[in-house]
Amino acid sequence: MAPEQQQPAAAAKRLELPTLVFGPIELRRLQRELEALEEYISAANIRNPGKQAELPKTSRLLDALAGNNGYNLLMPNHRELLMKFLKDTEAKAPVIHISLAADPSSAFTAKLVAWLRQNIHPYALLQLGLQPSIAAGCILRTKNKAFDFSLRNRFKEQRSLLLKSIGGGTGKL
Amino acid sequence: MTIWWLILILSFILAGGSAFIYMAIRLSKVATQKKTLEDFEGQAEKDVEHIFNDEFREELRNRGRLHFEKILGENAMFLQQDLRLTTSQLNEYMKDQISKDLKNAFANYENAISDAKQLAVESITKTKEVIDEQRSTMTSQLEKEVSDEKARRVKRLEENMADVVNHYVLAAIGNQIDLNDQLEYILGELEANKKEILEDVNNGA
Repeated sequence: MAPEQQQPAAAAKRLELPTLVFGPIELRRLQRELEALEEYISAANIRNPGKQAELPKTSRLLDALAGNNGYNLLMPNHRELLMKFLKDTEAKAPVIHISLAADPSSAFTAKLVAWLRQNIHPYALLQLGLQPSIAAGCILRTKNKAFDFSLRNRFKEQRSLLLKSIGGGTGKL
Repeated sequence: MTIWWLILILSFILAGGSAFIYMAIRLSKVATQKKTLEDFEGQAEKDVEHIFNDEFREELRNRGRLHFEKILGENAMFLQQDLRLTTSQLNEYMKDQISKDLKNAFANYENAISDAKQLAVESITKTKEVIDEQRSTMTSQLEKEVSDEKARRVKRLEENMADVVNHYVLAAIGNQIDLNDQLEYILGELEANKKEILEDVNNGA
């Protein structure tokens, strides 16, 4: 049986979106990479039919996506399923925007994404923003709501305590 | 009584005799003098040419000249005295008049100066009152504005206290806040608001 005709065992199962794939940007990048891979393989087949073409080096994200789901990128139907999955995910997955005071590290982002996918939605996409004025904490925005977990908001919430503390110091406020 | 009458009659007789004798003596003297005067007049008429000769006339002329000069001198002296007196009186009069005029002028000047001074004092007093009033108004206005500004600033500070403190914290230790140290806090906040996030994600359009 040709590899193109083999059906993946995990085709019916729910695909996993790796933590490395944080958000829409990574999704689009994966789609572009898959398209490029598809074009490359098609071109190689045209040049040397019947000869196994050497697979171009794929990115870590694509490897993780394919590896975590048991897909073989050499198989066209797997690539097609992955592409469909990526498009569906881009179209339907909830995008959560989080603004931070500084540019986060990959590990930090991965932990955030892992928590979101574990607790909110398995395909939740994270879109990061930079907002230095919040000092510490973060501001989370979903489609309809915004949750301010910043230090600035904490100060606002505790304004009476803050005024009480300062008033105790100056005796004027 | 008879004696006394006799004595009185004898006295009258003696007095009458005495008066008769006196009158006789007197009349004889007057007749003598009259005769002497007539002699003199006749002699004078004879010697008139002899008495009023050239020397006598010259003497009379000199006497007259001297007398005239004396009268002239006396008159000149009187005139000079009168002139001096008149000049003195005129000076006194002029002095008095000028002093009077000057006094009147000075009195007028003093009145004018007094009026001007009074006007100036009134003007200064009014100006001072106006200035005091304006100063009072400005002081109260300034105090009100300062009070309002203070209240406004305190209110703004109270309203923006969170931002102020946040800005201060950010400026003071912003560079030292590690994002990794915040992960636990952020995850805790996410966990605390998990339900609301889930609801919005699941029910969002």
